[in-house]
Amino acid sequence: MSGRRIDWTIVAMLAIALIVTLSASFIPNWIRFLGQLAASTALASVGVMILLRAGLLSFGQSLFYFIGGYIVALLGKYGGVTDAFAVVVAAAAGAGLAAVALGFLLATYRGIFFSMLTLAVSMVMFGVATKVRLFGGSDGLNIGLMSYFGHRPRGVDAQWTGFVFCIWTWTGFGIATHVFLRSRFGRLIGAVADNEIRVEYLGFSVRRIVWVAYGIAGILAGAGGALAGLSARHVDPQFAYWTTAGDFIFVVLLSGQASVLSPAFGAFLLEILRSYASAWFPDQWQSVFGAMMLAIVLFLPAGLDHLIVLSGLALRKRVTRRSLVQGASS
Amino acid sequence: MTTLSAIIVDAASFAAWLFLVAVGLTLVFGVLRLLNIAHGAFYSVGAYAGVFAIGASASLGWGIALQLVAAIVVACLMGALIGLLIERSVLKRLYGYPEALVLIATYALFLILDDLTGMVSAGQSLYASQPRDGLGQITIGGLQYPVYDVGLIGISLLLALAVWYTLERTRIGRCVTAVVFDSEISAAMGIHVGRIKTGTFIVGAMLGCLAGALTAPKIAVSPGMGVEVIVIAFAVVVVGGLGSIAGALLGAIIIGLARSVTAHLAPELEIFAVYFVMAGVLAFRPYGLLAPAEARRI
Repeated sequence: MSGRRIDWTIVAMLAIALIVTLSASFIPNWIRFLGQLAASTALASVGVMILLRAGLLSFGQSLFYFIGGYIVALLGKYGGVTDAFAVVVAAAAGAGLAAVALGFLLATYRGIFFSMLTLAVSMVMFGVATKVRLFGGSDGLNIGLMSYFGHRPRGVDAQWTGFVFCIWTWTGFGIATHVFLRSRFGRLIGAVADNEIRVEYLGFSVRRIVWVAYGIAGILAGAGGALAGLSARHVDPQFAYWTTAGDFIFVVLLSGQASVLSPAFGAFLLEILRSYASAWFPDQWQSVFGAMMLAIVLFLPAGLDHLIVLSGLALRKRVTRRSLVQGASS
Repeated sequence: MTTLSAIIVDAASFAAWLFLVAVGLTLVFGVLRLLNIAHGAFYSVGAYAGVFAIGASASLGWGIALQLVAAIVVACLMGALIGLLIERSVLKRLYGYPEALVLIATYALFLILDDLTGMVSAGQSLYASQPRDGLGQITIGGLQYPVYDVGLIGISLLLALAVWYTLERTRIGRCVTAVVFDSEISAAMGIHVGRIKTGTFIVGAMLGCLAGALTAPKIAVSPGMGVEVIVIAFAVVVVGGLGSIAGALLGAIIIGLARSVTAHLAPELEIFAVYFVMAGVLAFRPYGLLAPAEARRI
C-alpha cells in the first residue's frame, strides 16, 4: 500500500544511530555505559511491547534475557568464541529457540494465566541457575573482552567499540522488528487483543500468531541479554529474576506502545533514574520504582508517548477543521 | 512404613500452609476478578507483624497461647488497614481497566510493600520461634514432629470450615456469592456491590497477613520472601480453579502431596513438583479442576 513512502521510524532509528556513532567520542564514559545498558533493556522491552499489543503481559521475559547473557558467557568460557557478532547472533538464536519451544505450551493461555505461567518458568530458571555449578552458582560468570571480526580493541577503544556495537545492534534488531510489525502478520498481533474470535473467523490461527509473537519477543530479549552481558562483562542469575522482567514492563508502561522507538526512550530514562536513585536513596529504589509505576497506571495508562500521539491528533484535527471552514466560506 | 507416614504428615502440613496462603488470593479473585500479586507482600507484612508481636509479648512474659493470639490479632489488624487503604485508594479506580494494567498495578503495590517491610527490618532476617519451640514435639508413626506444625493443619481446616460457613450459611456470604456470579444483576437486586468488594479485599488481605503470621515461627523472616509465595499460591489456586474455595483446598492437597512425595522419593525434583502438577492440570483442564467452563464471547 504505502511501500514507496519513506518510513520515518526507520529513518529516525538510522539517524539516531549515525548521530550517536559520530559523536560517541565526545560522550562521557558513564553516559556511554548507560546507553549500552539502555540499548539492551530497550531490545528486551520491545519484546514485551509486542506481547502487550496482543494483550499479553509477560512476567518472564527475564528468562530469555538470562539465556542470551549466559550463552555469551558460556561460549566465551568453554567455546573460546569472543566475536561479538557471532555471540549476539548465537544468543538471539538460542533464546529464540527456547521461546519457540516454550511458546508451544504457553500460546494457548491468555490473561493472568499467561502472565503467571511465564513468571513461574522464569522463577524455576532462577532457582536452577543459583544452584548449577556450570552457571557459576549465584556469583554468575565473567565475560572477557570481545573481538569484532578479528579486530580486538583494548582500553578506551574497547569501550567506544562496545558502545557503537550496542547502538547498531539495537538499530538492526529494531528495524527488523519494525518491518515485521508493519507487515500484515504484525498487524494481526494487535487484532488478537481486540477480538480473538473475529481473527479466527478471518482465517488466521490466533495460537500461531501468539506463538510467533512470543518467539520474536524471545529473540529480542536474548539479543538484549547478550548486549547486557558483554557491556557489564558479567552475568549472574539476577538476569532471570522477576524484577528484571518488571524493568521491561516498566519501560513499556513508561514509554507506551506506539512504535519500536518508544522503549528506547523509556529504557534510557529508566537507566538514568536508576543511577540517580541509587545515589540519593539507595535502599528505597523498589518503592520509588513501584510508586512511579502506580502513578503511570492511575494517571497515564497509555504511556508517555501517548502524549505525543494525542498532541499529533489534536494538531491534525485543528488543521482539518480549519480547512473545512475555509472550504465552506469560499 | 515410616516413609509413608512421613509423606502423609508432611503432605498434610504443607497442604495446610498452601491453603492458608491461597485462600485469600482465590477469594479476592472470585469477587474482584483481579489477580492480586500484592498478596505475596501481605504475607510478608503479616510475617513481620507476627515476629514483632511475638517478640513483644514474649518480653512481657506472656504465655505461648497469648503470644500466638497477639501475633494473629496484630497481623489481622495490619491486614485490614492495608487492605482498606489499597482498595479505597488504588483498586477502586481500576475496576474495568484492562487485565494487564491491573496486574501491573498490583505488582507495583507488591514492590512498595515489600520494600517497606525490608526497611523495617533493615534487611536482616528475623526469628520468632518461641511458640514453636515451646510447644514441643509429638510422635506420629515413629517420627517426631513439632506440635506447632501439626496444629497448623487443624487451624487450616478450621479456617476452611469458617470460610465455607460464612459463604454458604450467612446472608453476607449469599451476597458475596451473588456478586461472584454476576455483579450487575446483584447490584440490580439491591446488593451494595462496592461495599462487598471492599469488604472482600479487606478479608483477603487479612487472610494473607494471617498466613504470614502463622508461618513466622517456622521460618527466618527475611525481605523478598513474598515472591515465591505468590507463585506457589497462584499454582494452588489454578489447579483447583480460580475463585473457588473448595478448589483452593483441593489444589492445596494435590500440590502438598506432590511436593511431599517428591521430597521423600526424588529430592532433586522437589522444586519442580509444584510446576509439574500445575502444567499437568492446565493441559487437561485449562480453567482448573473445579471451575465451570465459560462460554466464549464473540
